[in-house]
Parts: sequence; structure tokens; C-alpha cells
Amino acid sequence: MNKRAGFGFYIFLVVFVFFVMFPFIWVFLTSIKPPGEIFNNFNWFTADPSLASYENALTNRPLVRYMTNSFVVSTLTTIIAIACASVAAYALTRLPIKFKGLILGTILAASMFPQIAIISPIYNFITSVGLRNSYMGLVIPYITISLPLAIWILSTFFQKIPWELEESAKLDGATPFQTFRKIIFPLAAPGVFTTAILVFIAAWNEYLFALTINTEDTWRTVPVGISFYQSQFTIPWGDISAATVLVTIPIVILVLIFQRRIVAGLTSGSVKE
Amino acid sequence: MATHQKLNKRGGGSYHLPFLLTKKWVIQLKFSLNEKQLGYLMVAPALILVILVTLWPVAQSFYNSLFDYRLNDPSRSERFLQSNMDLERYANDYFYLSRDLGDLAGQSPDDAAAVNEIREGIETYHEELLAMDGVGEQYEEVETLIASFTAISDRDLKYAKVENEWAGDYKEFLATAQEDLLALAEGSSDEAVTTTASNVAGSIESTNKAIIESNFIGLNNYSRYLQDGRMWQSLSNTFVFTIVSVGVELILGLAIALLINRTFSGRGIVRASVLIPWAIPTAVAAMMWGFLYDGQTGIVAHYFEQFGLIKDASVLLSTSAGGMFSVIFADVWKTTPYMALLLLAGLQTIPGSLYEAAEVDGASKWQQFWKVTLPLLKSAILVALLFRTLDAFRVFDLIYVLTGGGPANSTESISIYAYITLFSQQNFGAGSVLSVIVFLCVALLSTLFIKFIGSDLFAGRSNR
Repeated sequence: MNKRAGFGFYIFLVVFVFFVMFPFIWVFLTSIKPPGEIFNNFNWFTADPSLASYENALTNRPLVRYMTNSFVVSTLTTIIAIACASVAAYALTRLPIKFKGLILGTILAASMFPQIAIISPIYNFITSVGLRNSYMGLVIPYITISLPLAIWILSTFFQKIPWELEESAKLDGATPFQTFRKIIFPLAAPGVFTTAILVFIAAWNEYLFALTINTEDTWRTVPVGISFYQSQFTIPWGDISAATVLVTIPIVILVLIFQRRIVAGLTSGSVKE
Repeated sequence: MATHQKLNKRGGGSYHLPFLLTKKWVIQLKFSLNEKQLGYLMVAPALILVILVTLWPVAQSFYNSLFDYRLNDPSRSERFLQSNMDLERYANDYFYLSRDLGDLAGQSPDDAAAVNEIREGIETYHEELLAMDGVGEQYEEVETLIASFTAISDRDLKYAKVENEWAGDYKEFLATAQEDLLALAEGSSDEAVTTTASNVAGSIESTNKAIIESNFIGLNNYSRYLQDGRMWQSLSNTFVFTIVSVGVELILGLAIALLINRTFSGRGIVRASVLIPWAIPTAVAAMMWGFLYDGQTGIVAHYFEQFGLIKDASVLLSTSAGGMFSVIFADVWKTTPYMALLLLAGLQTIPGSLYEAAEVDGASKWQQFWKVTLPLLKSAILVALLFRTLDAFRVFDLIYVLTGGGPANSTESISIYAYITLFSQQNFGAGSVLSVIVFLCVALLSTLFIKFIGSDLFAGRSNR
């Protein structure tokens, strides 16, 4: 459709973007207020901006540690998921194996499983192998989320690669594995990369497993860590808004750089998160 | 571009099919054996991982739900299909029991007959226990370890399986003996007798606890939770949350998708602003909204009060209706953009010529929407609805962080109730029942959806 956008349309866009971004704008404006000004005061702008809240956010709780934890766990999860999923998705889309429908159905079903239904056995298992409060203790359960997601998106990407190249490689005597490594993988790299971003975000955002398995403060991930900023007696909104801004910045950068890829990944698989 | 191809394929998969089938057939002729084996080899790691980390735990949850299984209660912290004897504890107690019962008989000649009867009974049961298959040697091994003050960590050594009936009888006998001895301790005027008798009663109680009856309770947990008001309350909260938030998201998302389905400058900014709420962690979004809704400092609560939408700024987080509204509103904020993106991708696959033709035939915009847009968008809508519904149904972090299920459990979702039962009360048996209920609901919902969507979901992937 080639409708032209008029003036009214742009006004609508500005209002829409403003409403969507409003919480971020307000939280950012709060984070640069001096802590005393936050309560019972609905002024949008403060007269003397201060970084006190940021300092508090970083010193009262190990926020940097949370971010490191999240980063390590999400990276490990992404590497494992992409490694297993890319070969599996290749076989599922390209090789003449039986039960493809059944296998894909199982994987899709697994991605729909509610995490609460598997958490207690996983908790028992992680406890019995002594992986509570460790990185691997989270990476293992995160496979439940990331692997089906990765296989699902990758298999749609792999299908868009033209078959002719693969066939000519085979005619030239390449083994299936060589075909995969030299022809398919370079062609599929953009799709793999997109999938990696989505898996990374999904792992970064996970809450339930992180809350249950890594209970020690030094092993918490960002989402859990942030939710523990409120103490029993006070809610330090200044610290919370500063911490929120700090943990949102990496995501905003990621989204700004890769927005096209993310949208392509989301819509091509019509996949959740 | 990529999305176009994909969605076209979903819509018109049959068009490609004959071509694909021929290709597949040719390849199978040429490489069949080799490639097939390789294919299975390549799928295997992923499939095994998926089975190990999802299917197996779900099966375990089902199994756990059949037991009275509590982590914080030593006698129920394992799942026993059969009665068991905790030999470590038993051997410890038995040592004192036989000694103290002898002493007691000597100290109190009046009651010697009764005490001896208890002693004989215990000894008979002890002999019976040792005569059981393999238990004799096991007991000896345990005794050696106890003598060297080593704690026994090996489950198989520590617990001996015993017959349910024998365990029941023995427990009953010990309970009676304990009562008798306590009566004796109370009735006696001799202080030494009182002390010894109550000591022995204590040892007997401990022995009783060493006999762990099977905590297999079958479907009892289920019947308990099916009559539990809080379960139904949380289930209905979950349904309200799912239906309202997904419904609003669908309508808003569709409206936004229709509006921005045109060429305009600044698409990048709109796309980024739409993606950011989706990309940030739900827990972080919940904290943000918690701040915005706060009765004292929350700007949203403040403006709602100013505009007369609510009576008082504290309403949002302190009343049940306000709490439910807050949770749904935050969810709508976070996921409507995502819904709009999915639907926009679907809209972009509808060829413009269809609208031109409709226009020529004199169809109004409204008619075009109902007769062209909606039917062609049906499969995109259903897929988006499927993923969103299942996601909303298992909602945990948003509510847990924003309201904690309150006020007065009015926003508690079934996942939160399950989490509290599992990890705050450490009741893994009952908690598993709730997780199984969530699982069954999700399975039912997805079956319903897949019936509606049909094979469209797999069309692009498995037909090759």
C-alpha cells in the first residue's frame, strides 16, 4: 500500500511515540533529580540535576556484578543454543530425515511449556549437582527457553536460502558437512546472527529461574537484582530509576543498531519473544 | 522483504509443493543413506537437550504431584513409593533403647512386666527387620559407620525398604508404648524412674520417626486443590488477565498496524521506540510501572487522579480492581507494540491490487477492512494470538514484581500461586499439582489454537 502520510498522521506518530516512551522519559527525569526532590513532587524538570541517584544505585547494590552475571549467562546460553540449533535446523530443513513434523512439533511444544511446570525438577537437579549460585546453574535451564526458540527461527531463515547453490556444491563433490560449512553457513549467517540477538535478549530477560536458582546476591542477574532494590521499609525510587536507566541503555543500543534484524527475526518466525 | 516471502509461502504453500516434492525425491535417490544418517546425527543433540530439560522435568512434575513431598520436612523430603526405615536414625536410637529399657525395668520393679513387654516387642520387630532381604548386612554396615561417627550420605545405604503393613504395625506399637511410658513417668514418685521413662519415651518417638511411611498419596493433592478457593481465584485471575490484556493488545495492535502501514519518514524511530518496551526485561518494566503507579510519588497515579479517572492516587495499587487494571495496563504497554509489528508484517503481504479492485467495485473503506484485510490477515492474527495467549497465561514476573499477587491475592496468577507453594512453603508435592494444572491449561489452549490455525504453522517448515 502506498498511502501518503499527511500532517495529521505525523501528529499521531508523535503522540504514539510519546506514550510508548513516556515511562522511560519519566524514569530518566527522576533519575537525575536530587534524591530529596523525588517525593511528593510532580515537576517534570529539576532545577539542579544531580548524579547522586546513580552513585547510590551503583554503591548500594552490586549492579555492575548483576550486569556481568547477566552478560556471561546470556552469552553462554546463546553460544550453546546457536551451536545445537543451527545444525538441527539445517537437518530439519534440508536433509531427508523422517518425522520432521513430529520433531518440529515437539520443539514447538517445548517452547510453549510454562516454566513453572518444569522448575521444581530442574531446581532439584541443579541442587543435586551443586550448581546453585553459579553461571552453569542458569545456563542449563535457559536451554529450555533458548533452544526451541533458536531452532524455530533458524529453520525459517534456512529455508530462504536457494537450493541451487547447495545442489551445485553437491555435484562438485562436496560432502553434506562441507556444504553446510562453506555454502549454507555463510549464506545463513545473517539469520544466525538475528537469532542470536533474539536468544540473547530472551536469556537476558529471564526472571523465574534466575530468581529461584541463584539466590545469593552476588550471583543474581539484572532482572532479579533490580527487583530486589526495594527494601522492606523504604522504596528508594531514586536508586531504582537510576538503575533502570543503567540497565536499559545496553538494550536501547542493541535495539537501535539491530532493529531491522530484530523485526525480521520476530516476524519471520511469528515467534514469541 | 524476507517476511514477505515467508508469509507468502504460508499463504500459498501448495503452490510450491509439487516442485518441492520432485526435488526431495531426486535428492533422496542420490544421497539417501548418507544424508539421512547425518541428518539424524545433527538433530540428535538438540532433540536430546530439549527432551532432557523440558519433557523429562514435566514428567517429573507429574510424578512429584502424586506425593506428599515437602523439602522442609525430613520425613517427607524424599518420594517413597514404599515404606522405608531410616537405618542411621534407627540404629542410633536402638542402641539407647535396649540399654535404657533394661535400666528402667531394674529401677521400677512394679512396672517391670509392662516394660519388659515393650522391650520384647521392640526386639521382635528388630529381629524381623534384620531378617528382611539384605537389611541385615545393610544394618551392620550402617552400625560400623555410626561407630566411626561418619554421617551417611548414600541414600541407598541409609534407607531400607520395608513392607508397608509391617511399618504400620510397628509405628502403632511404638506409639502405644510411648503413651504407656509417659503415663508411667507421670505416675511414678521416684525421680530416677521418671527421668529414665521419659528418656525412653523420647527414644521411642525418635524410632517412630525413623520409620518413614510411603508418602505416595495418589490424586489426593489434586482433589484438595480442586476444592481450594485460592486455586480457583488465581485461575480466574489468570483468565481475566489473559483475555483482557490479549484482547486489548490485539485491537490496539491491529489499529496501530493499520495506521502505520504506509510510507512515511522516520520509520526507524517508530520501529525502535516500539521495540524498546518489548526488549527490556519484564521485571524492569514492572519496577518502572510500580514507580509510576505508586500512591505517593507515582506520576500516572497522580494524573489519573487529576483527570478524575480514579478517586484517590493510592487506588491503583491498593484495591483489587485497581491492581488488576495496573497489571493489565502495564502488560498492554509492553506487548501491544510487539503485536502491532507482527500484524504489520502480515498486512504488508496483502497485495495493493486487491484494494484497488475493491475500490473499483465501490467498496467502502469499512467494507474493504472486513472483506479484504481481515480474511487475509486471519492466519497472522491467529499465530500472534497463539503466542501471546500462551505467554499471558503463564504470566509470572510482571505480577510478581509489580503487585506480588496482592492486594489480598486479587492479582495472583496461577503461576505465582504455584511458585509460592513450591518455594516459599517448600511444598513440592502440592506445588507440583499447581504446576501441572498450569501445564494442562496451556496444553489445552494450544491444542484449541492449533485446531484453528491448522497446519499453517508448520507449512513453511516441514513440507520440504
